[in-house]
Amino acid sequence: MDTNQASPIYAQGITHPLLPPLGGPNPVLPPELTPEEKTAVLTQLRWTRYSQIGMESCAFKTLASGTIGFGLGAFISLMSASLQYEDPILRQQSAAGQALSSGQKTLEVFKEMGRGMWRSGKGFGKVGALYAGSECVIESYRARNDMTNAVAAGFVSGAILAASSGPKAAFGGGLAFAAFSAAIDMFMRRETKE
Amino acid sequence: GGMGGGMPAQSANLDVAVAELDMITDVFNRIVSSCHSKCINPRYAEADLNKGESVCIDRCVAKFFEVNKKVGERMQTMGGAAAGG
Repeated sequence: MDTNQASPIYAQGITHPLLPPLGGPNPVLPPELTPEEKTAVLTQLRWTRYSQIGMESCAFKTLASGTIGFGLGAFISLMSASLQYEDPILRQQSAAGQALSSGQKTLEVFKEMGRGMWRSGKGFGKVGALYAGSECVIESYRARNDMTNAVAAGFVSGAILAASSGPKAAFGGGLAFAAFSAAIDMFMRRETKE
Repeated sequence: GGMGGGMPAQSANLDVAVAELDMITDVFNRIVSSCHSKCINPRYAEADLNKGESVCIDRCVAKFFEVNKKVGERMQTMGGAAAGG
């Protein structure tokens, strides 16, 4: 059945968000557009839809959280590197330290700072990616948005992070991270004044 | 569309079309109302749908159509049995 015959309203392009979408998946474009412009508009609409779906997907959330965690870890390590002190006696005692010029020593300091930033960034990135990924997966499975998603995700990521230290340590780590993420989630879900 | 018949054929076609439009609108409103009451938390913390809510709505609409189909099949067999037996 031709919908335009049955529903002349939609043939004229009158749509309303609360009406059933009988006009078909594509919106009715104004008639003065050329075919190339029509395909361009439809392509643009399609891409915005895809990008929206992508940004709400679990894989993207995991990646974004991991990246932000990496950046945060690197920044924190950079700030704390300024508080590192250099022990001149220790450096003087090592034979290699005596042979380095001051320029080379400066380079060594910066390289050590970079290594610290990378290490710290990796750690934070792992935590962020694990937590965000497990929370998104748990929420997609339960099809519900409440606090048990955060607690369960905290337990899973805490257990995985402490897995190399044995099962009791993994369990304790999971409990600790679950409690921490429960506290944070309670704070985020609190009733604000508005 | 109908052939270029007389007035009765055209108005019958129009009646069928109007009835189908009414039915589709009714089903749409039922789905929206039922899935909204099932899936959306009454505490409106933000305007956008959460991941959990959008997954719930996807499943709710799919289940609604599945239930519709199954009930239709059962009614068809019941009607067939009543007509034959």
